[in-house]
Amino acid sequence: MRDDLERLLERLIHASVAERVAISVAALFAAILVGGVLVFVSGGFASCRAGLDLAGVTFCYNPIQVYYELFLGSLGHPLEGDWSPMNYSLATTLRQTTLLIFAGLSVAVAFRAGLFNIGTQGQLVIGGLLTAVTVLFAASYVPGGFVGTVLLIPIGVLAGAVGGGLYGAIPGALKAYAGANEVITTIMLNFIAAGVASTLLSWRFQDPDSANPQTRAIPEYAEIPNVPVVGFSGRMDFSLLALGFAVALMIGIAWLLARTSFGYELRTSGIQPKAAAYGGVDEKRMTVASMTLSGALGGIAGAFWVLMEHGRWLENVPALGFDGIAVSILAGNNPLGVGAAAFLFGVLSSGSNAINTATDVPPELVGVLSGLIILFVAMPEFFRMMGRRYADVGGPERTRSTGGEADD
Amino acid sequence: MIELPSRPDRRTLLVGLGAITAVWVVLGLVFPDSWAGVLLSIAANPSTHTTMLRLAVPIALAAIGGIFAEKSGVINIGIEGLLIVSAFSAIIVTFWLGSGESTLALSHHWWGFAVGVLVSTLFALLFAVVCIDFKADQIIAGLAVWLIALGLAPFVSRIVFDSPNTAGVGYFQNVTIPVLSEIPLLGYLLFDTPPQVYIMLAAAVAGWYLLNRTAFGRWVVASGENPKALDTAGVDVRRVRYTAVLLSGIFAGLGGAGFALGQLGTFAGGGETAIGGRGFIAIATYLFANYHPIGALLGSFLFAGLEAMQFQLQNLGYAVPTELIRTIPYATVIVVLVFVGKTRLPEAAGEAYDGDED
Repeated sequence: MRDDLERLLERLIHASVAERVAISVAALFAAILVGGVLVFVSGGFASCRAGLDLAGVTFCYNPIQVYYELFLGSLGHPLEGDWSPMNYSLATTLRQTTLLIFAGLSVAVAFRAGLFNIGTQGQLVIGGLLTAVTVLFAASYVPGGFVGTVLLIPIGVLAGAVGGGLYGAIPGALKAYAGANEVITTIMLNFIAAGVASTLLSWRFQDPDSANPQTRAIPEYAEIPNVPVVGFSGRMDFSLLALGFAVALMIGIAWLLARTSFGYELRTSGIQPKAAAYGGVDEKRMTVASMTLSGALGGIAGAFWVLMEHGRWLENVPALGFDGIAVSILAGNNPLGVGAAAFLFGVLSSGSNAINTATDVPPELVGVLSGLIILFVAMPEFFRMMGRRYADVGGPERTRSTGGEADD
Repeated sequence: MIELPSRPDRRTLLVGLGAITAVWVVLGLVFPDSWAGVLLSIAANPSTHTTMLRLAVPIALAAIGGIFAEKSGVINIGIEGLLIVSAFSAIIVTFWLGSGESTLALSHHWWGFAVGVLVSTLFALLFAVVCIDFKADQIIAGLAVWLIALGLAPFVSRIVFDSPNTAGVGYFQNVTIPVLSEIPLLGYLLFDTPPQVYIMLAAAVAGWYLLNRTAFGRWVVASGENPKALDTAGVDVRRVRYTAVLLSGIFAGLGGAGFALGQLGTFAGGGETAIGGRGFIAIATYLFANYHPIGALLGSFLFAGLEAMQFQLQNLGYAVPTELIRTIPYATVIVVLVFVGKTRLPEAAGEAYDGDED
C-alpha cells in the first residue's frame, strides 16, 4: 500500500497544477453526467402524475431541473427576482463550506503525509462532544456577555482540537508502532467514537429537558457571533467570522506544508518515506504527529459544528468527515484547493435541501454524486485516454509542458 | 528495519485469546452467578451459536472474496460497498417480485439472491475496469465504491419506499437435512440451518481448493507476487486480475445477499446502513487469517460470536450499555490488526500492472 501511495503521490506531484485542475473539473462533469443519467433512469421506476413518456414508461425526474435546483437553489436562486445575498440557502451553503474546509484540511494533511485518514468523522464526533461539554463546564466560571464570548469560543475550539487530535493520534500510534493499517483502524474508530459518544451522552451529558439525544444548549454568548451589518442574520446559523477563520487556517496549513521544515518533512515522509528516514526524519514520530494534526483539524470541524450550527452537541452527527474525504481528493490534497472543493460540496450539501423541497428526487443523490466524483478523480488515466482519443490534445507530456509549475 | 523479537504476532494473539477463554471458562464454572458465569451460559446457549453462524455469513464470504482480489494484486477495500449493493438489491428484487411466491419453480427469495450476487459482480467489474485498465489508485477507488453504495441504497430505497429503509420481505426457510440434523451438538448447527450458512461453508472449502489446489490459484498468487514472471510464462496478468476481482464480487455478493435474505429480512439504508462496516471487518479477518480461506471462515466466527453474544445479552434483558457493547467487535478488529499488523501483503499488491513498460 505504501508503494502504491508513493506512485500516486509521485504522479500527482509530476502532474502540473493545470492538469490536476483539469482532471478535477473533468471528474466533476463526468460525475454530473453519470448522476444525471441515474436520476433520469431512476425516474422510470418512481411513480408520479406527470412525467416524460417514452416507450410506455413514464420518467418522472428531469435531471436538468434537479441540477438547476442543486446548483442555483443552494445559492437562493440568484436568477429569480427578490434575490438577496443574505438568504438562508446561501448561508447554509457557506456554513457547510466552513465545516468542510476543516474536514477537508484534516484529510488532506494526513494524505500529504502518506496516510489515509478515513477517521475524520470519528475525530469530529469526539471533538464536538468535548467542545460542548467543556464550554458547558467553563460557562459557570466565566462571566457572560462579551468577555464570555472572547473566552469561551477559543476554549471550545481548543477543546475540540485536543479531543480530535488525541483521537487521531490513536490510529497514528497504532500505525507507527504496530503496523496496523490506518484505513481499517480509522474506520473502526469511527464506529467506536459514535458508540462511546452516545454512551457518554446518556451517562452524564444528556439534556434532561429533551427527548432528543443531545447535550444541554451552550449559552448564547458562547456561540460564534455574527458580523453586524454585513453579516447573515443570527437565525441562519452561519457566521462570516467562522468562514474567515477557516480560510485563515487553510492558508496557515498551506504555509505550514510549503514553507516550514515540519511541512517539508511531512511531505517527504508521504512521497519518499525511505528518503525522509535517511534524511533524519523519525518516521514513527512523524506518523503520529501528522495523524494528530489531522485529527485536531477534524476536531475543530466538530467544534464549529457545535459552536456555530446547533449551540449544542447532537448524537446525530452529519457525515461531514466522509464529505471531507471527497473534498480533499477533489482538491488533489492541496490545502488551497480544499477551499474551492469545500465550496462545491457546500453547494451540493445545501442543494440537497433544495432538491428535497422542490423535486421528488431523493436528496441521497448527493451522496452518490460525491462517490462518483471520487471515483473519477481517482482515474486520471481515463481522462488522458479520452483526451488522446477524441480531442487530440496530445499525451500527458504536452499537457504538462503547457501547464504551470508544480506547486511543491 | 529491525523487528523487536518480542513483537506480538498471530501466534501470541491466538495463545492470548486461548488463555483469556480458559480463564473465563474456569471463572464462569466456579462462579456461575458472576458476569463470567452469565456470559459463559450465553456462550454455551445453542441460539448464540446459530446466530453466530448467520452473522458470520457476510464477514466470511466477503473475506474469502477479498483474499482472491488482494492475492492477485488488487486491494479491494470496496468490499463493504459490494456487501451493501448485494444486500440491498436482493431485498428490493424480492420485494418487487413479491415475497412468498415463486416464478419458474424458484422462490422469489432465490431470484432476489441471484440478482444480489449479479449486482455485486457488476460493481466488482466496474472496480476492476477502473483499477486494472484505468490504473486508478486502488484505495481511493475502493472508497469510492463504498461511498457510491452508501448513497445509492438509500437513494433507490427512498424512490420505492419513500424512506431509506425498505419494507420487510421475510427470510429464507431453514433447510433441515434429515438424519444428520439429529447428530448431537453439530446437528442443529450444520444440518438444520438457513441456506446461506451452507453456502458460506461450501464457499470456504471451494475458495480454499481454488486458491491452493488449482492452476488458477497459482496464477492468482503469481499475479500478486510477481506479475512480470507470470506474464513471461505466457499467462495474461490482466485476465487473471479481472477474474480474481470478479470472484471477490461473487463471494461478497453471496455474503451480502445471503445475509440480507437469511438474517436481516429488510434493509436499513440510513447512516452506515445495515451492513455497518462488516466489509471492513472482513478485511481485518483475512489479514488475521493470513489469506487462508478456511482461516477466514474461522476468524469470522470470532467477530460474529462477539456480536451474537451482544444480541443475546440484550434479548435476555440484561441492562448493558448497548451502544458501548456494540463497539466491542470494532475494537476487536483494532486489537487483531495490532497483532497481525506486519502481515506481508503480496509483493505487487496495489500496483497496476503495465505489460508494456520497459
